[in-house]
Amino acid sequence: QRKPSEPKIPSSLIKSVFKHYAKMPVASKSFKIVEKCTEKYFKQLCNDLAAFASHAGRKTVEVSDVEVLMRRQRLVTDEMPLHVLIEHHLPLEYRKLLIPVVVSGNKVIPEIKCSS
Amino acid sequence: MAAAQPRPSALGGKRSRAAEAGAMEAAGGEERFLLAQRLKAAVHYTVGCLCEEVAEERDVQFSKQTIAAITEITFRQCETFAKDLEVFARHAKRSTVTIEDVKLLARRSSSLLRYITEKSEELALSNMEQKEKKKKSNAVKERRTGEHEAAVTESEDFNMA
Repeated sequence: QRKPSEPKIPSSLIKSVFKHYAKMPVASKSFKIVEKCTEKYFKQLCNDLAAFASHAGRKTVEVSDVEVLMRRQRLVTDEMPLHVLIEHHLPLEYRKLLIPVVVSGNKVIPEIKCSS
Repeated sequence: MAAAQPRPSALGGKRSRAAEAGAMEAAGGEERFLLAQRLKAAVHYTVGCLCEEVAEERDVQFSKQTIAAITEITFRQCETFAKDLEVFARHAKRSTVTIEDVKLLARRSSSLLRYITEKSEELALSNMEQKEKKKKSNAVKERRTGEHEAAVTESEDFNMA
């Protein structure tokens, strides 16, 4: 009987993403290390997001927490806003969810919450 | 005494930095440069004092270039610190940077976080004590003034004379 394993990103996905960015042959041993690093990355990520959410007095992690985190990682800077990163790296169906777009019939998808 | 000496100057440097930030906006490029130069000089002095301390402790020597390099690093680090703190404060919908933001800044290194948490608790304690002292002294003063008033009314003529 197999042990119920911790939830994790499938190694095939990590492999393909890493291959895409490495642009050179990668030894199969190094993929194992990359996998471990991803696990650690997610642990750290969760801790940081929790800290940022509680810092803002919330119990729910929101987009702004992720943005602050990416700013801290120096991924988001004044020259490189979050929207540009989304446009560069996410496929269209996810981009649609994150960046409001006007469609026919005078509709904005997704709906923007009016804060006031 | 040697340990306490650099710190007031460091605090003074930071305080003047906050005060000068407003002036910086109004000032032109030339004056801005001069202000930056002054700040750097203050940082350089403090870094020199701290390095001297470490040199005595560890029995090593710092070359002048090393001290200058540390100064430059510290100065640039302050820029990133300031930006990050600003982001954190805005994230919590505040316009004032508090100790919580500083703690968040130090989260990357657990030992640093521990150290800063300890320091903040110490600060909070000393603040509380000071407040209590003030309260007590105020209470004592009030009591005294009350007594004094009573005494004064009795010996008013004496005082007047």
